[in-house]
Amino acid sequence: MPESVALQRLREAARDPRAYVAGWRAHHPGRRVVGVMPMNFPREIALAAGVLPVYIQDDQRPVAEGRAYLPEFYCGYTRNLADQAATGRLDHFDALLLADHCIQLLGASDVARAVGDRSVFFGMLISSLSDSWAEKKIAEMMGQFRGEFEKLSGAPIGDEALTRAIEAYNADRELLRRVFDERAAGDTTWSPVELQDMVVSAQVMDPIEHRDLLVEALAAAPRGERDDRVRVHLSGHLCHAPRRELLEVIEETGAVVVDDDLWSGRRYVQSLVPFTPGEDPMSAIGRWYAERNVDLPCPTRVQHDVDWDAWLIDATRRSGAEVVVHLMPKFCEPHMLFYPELRKALDAAGIPQLLVETEHEGIPLEALRTRLEALVERALRHRPAYA
Amino acid sequence: MTTTAPTALSAPSTEPRTERLAITREGGRMIADYWEDLFVARESGRKIIWYNGGALNPMFQAAGLAWCHGEAFAARLAAQRLEGPAQLAGAEYGYNAELCSYSRTHLGCAVLTLKGSEEPDSGVVGLHDRADLASKLPAPDLFVNNYAGCSTGQQWDEVSYRVFGKNVPIFNVSHPFLWGNRPDAGYLVGSEWDEASRYVRDQLVELIDFLEVQTGRPFDYDALSESMTYIKRAGELRREGLDLCKATPAPATFWDWISCIAPINFLPGNQALVDYFQNVKDEIQQRIDAGVSGVRGEKYRLYFDGIMNWNKLGFLSRKFAEHGAAVLAGRYIQNAFWQEPHLIDTSDPLLGMAQHYLLCPTNHGSKTLEHLTLRDCESYGIDGIVFHSTRTCRAFTGPQRLLAKSARDNLGIPSIFFEGDVADASFYKEEILDSRLVAMLEAIDVARERGDHRRAGHGAEVAWPT
Ligand code: SF4
Ligand code: SF4
Repeated sequence: MPESVALQRLREAARDPRAYVAGWRAHHPGRRVVGVMPMNFPREIALAAGVLPVYIQDDQRPVAEGRAYLPEFYCGYTRNLADQAATGRLDHFDALLLADHCIQLLGASDVARAVGDRSVFFGMLISSLSDSWAEKKIAEMMGQFRGEFEKLSGAPIGDEALTRAIEAYNADRELLRRVFDERAAGDTTWSPVELQDMVVSAQVMDPIEHRDLLVEALAAAPRGERDDRVRVHLSGHLCHAPRRELLEVIEETGAVVVDDDLWSGRRYVQSLVPFTPGEDPMSAIGRWYAERNVDLPCPTRVQHDVDWDAWLIDATRRSGAEVVVHLMPKFCEPHMLFYPELRKALDAAGIPQLLVETEHEGIPLEALRTRLEALVERALRHRPAYA
Repeated sequence: MTTTAPTALSAPSTEPRTERLAITREGGRMIADYWEDLFVARESGRKIIWYNGGALNPMFQAAGLAWCHGEAFAARLAAQRLEGPAQLAGAEYGYNAELCSYSRTHLGCAVLTLKGSEEPDSGVVGLHDRADLASKLPAPDLFVNNYAGCSTGQQWDEVSYRVFGKNVPIFNVSHPFLWGNRPDAGYLVGSEWDEASRYVRDQLVELIDFLEVQTGRPFDYDALSESMTYIKRAGELRREGLDLCKATPAPATFWDWISCIAPINFLPGNQALVDYFQNVKDEIQQRIDAGVSGVRGEKYRLYFDGIMNWNKLGFLSRKFAEHGAAVLAGRYIQNAFWQEPHLIDTSDPLLGMAQHYLLCPTNHGSKTLEHLTLRDCESYGIDGIVFHSTRTCRAFTGPQRLLAKSARDNLGIPSIFFEGDVADASFYKEEILDSRLVAMLEAIDVARERGDHRRAGHGAEVAWPT
């Protein structure tokens, strides 16, 4: 059946955020648009100020002028960011903001600050989440973000506007999360590329507009059921989406992706702001940040009693994933540091795994195909004889 | 620019031209004694703390603990070319070769420690192979992370905590990055600086509570004041010695100061530390009086940006000297290691300590780093900058291109980049350093011939990394 117009529009926004922003500005004259860095930015506060916050995507163009600003051993996403900044490809934003402290993200953001004339605000959300003072520091920083957006929009942000923004993002994420939960439970309606487009467009678009389109797209699709292909969990790929051709190759090798913890997947949709009407919306936003790492642990955060490895094993049990493919962006230090813990836990659980180091410029797909086929073979050998 | 044929002035000399400070050998002995003492600390009943980042050792000294600074241990292994076994153990455990080589080496030590502890009750890494320094590191009883300016630093200790099965208590000090959001932001000034200072100070109070619980003893504030009194004095003497090196020709070089990092960074605060830095300063003064320079026939004055390449320390010092190039200043020296001793109130040292942890040379936005780099280039009469493009240290390398551009645009100072690493020799590219260094020195010569002193960087494409 032909795909819906709604799905096409989501795809367009995901793959060409600049065009989406231009269209949005045309319909919202005088309103501000800011670029925000992944992965923990409280976009609700921006939206409450009438500002459109867009998660900046890797636009997948080759790094050219950016090479003069960041070394080649920075992750592909940050080199691409520096390139976007150096060539005016971030000029459609009125300001840039970030809350995450990855040193590579800071390096790229500092380049953006140096080469552009717009403000680049860094509100560092505490990353050591076991500390007894974490809650207070989170609240302080959220307050600073509120102040920053009040300055940007020129008006105070009311609690009602915050409530509406929380509800808008929550509704969108909740619907997306349902799609992911259904996939984990056996639904194969959507390919990994389609799901990625749905999530990335959510990172870019106004949440109400996004949800309306998503509702339409979901309604137009007949449900698919899982068959006996090898079930794969995709893990990692922080801050930016893997290249689409890589996702396609995975399913071409006789596997089906049943779940993930990618930033352009479940990592974005997993947590809703835990808000109940009548409570202080700012403290709910603070709790959202604190609880995100519990809902889906991230190696950029430090929290002693929260384990990405244990979460991953549980996730494979929930979805029935038989193998895990780690998608590690080359030079991504938090991922490199945590990977051995993941490997150890999966080995102990007897779950076959494959580490794929992705590069901004792409990776040789045929070699990857061969490695994936070997993984699929291993998984098939793991299956009980009468399964 | 086009490069011209090498002139006689920049041709390397075959004669050794370095005059290292003699006193640094004494520093080497103090450091060796310190490590030997650490290796037997458990036997003498002391608990052992592994920590990373800012120099918390006065705290541990006051708490009666033995301390191991993770980066320092990795640096020592690399400087002695003994990093291999630890890095191999790390690689086998799954750490990627592109990961910060300090963390990779130290985590490799952790892995070896665990293997070693399979040998009953030793608590000593890989007792089976005492030949390697890596194999002597005693297992930790506590972890404290105090890393500013690099997310990897914090994550590294969290992973160490996990490698040890979460059985070793850990404490984290969080450091706001001094980004400079507010209009009043600047070096040592502004509301951002004040708030960050107080926040880190408050965490040090929490750390003291943690240490009291872990040691079962009340914290000795007097002992902290005492050790910080010595450290403050050592810091002052170090600064005075650094200022003396502004003389032309310079009496000592950046490489001498690199040899003085370990004492200021983690030796106990005591009279011996003060004496050491007094002797360093005295020797420098004597050299000025006697007309002795750190590089014989000093011809060029260079700035070195980047974390140290510990595998190549002596080699690099000789290489630059061969060309008559005196490396005099660098971010890792002038802007690190108790570099602002006036901030320390010895009767209540926590705030000044917190501020020094925040002053880690990777914890500033590029605007502040530009200010510091230009300031030091001017005050040392720098002709050119050498950027150590430290392969696995993204914290140091991130702002380097911006700094090179700023030095060129504001002072006309040319730069080169060379590839190497903190603790992994395989990333070092000698030919690149050779050819770029010669080209930069020629550019400086040409500018001088034109009478355009310190304008060699204008239009100097040769300096730019590819
Ligand atoms: S977390 Fe990884 S992918 Fe994200 S900016 Fe840092 S290094 Fe790059
Ligand atoms: S990357 Fe550099 S600053 Fe960061 S932990 Fe490693 S050595 Fe330290």
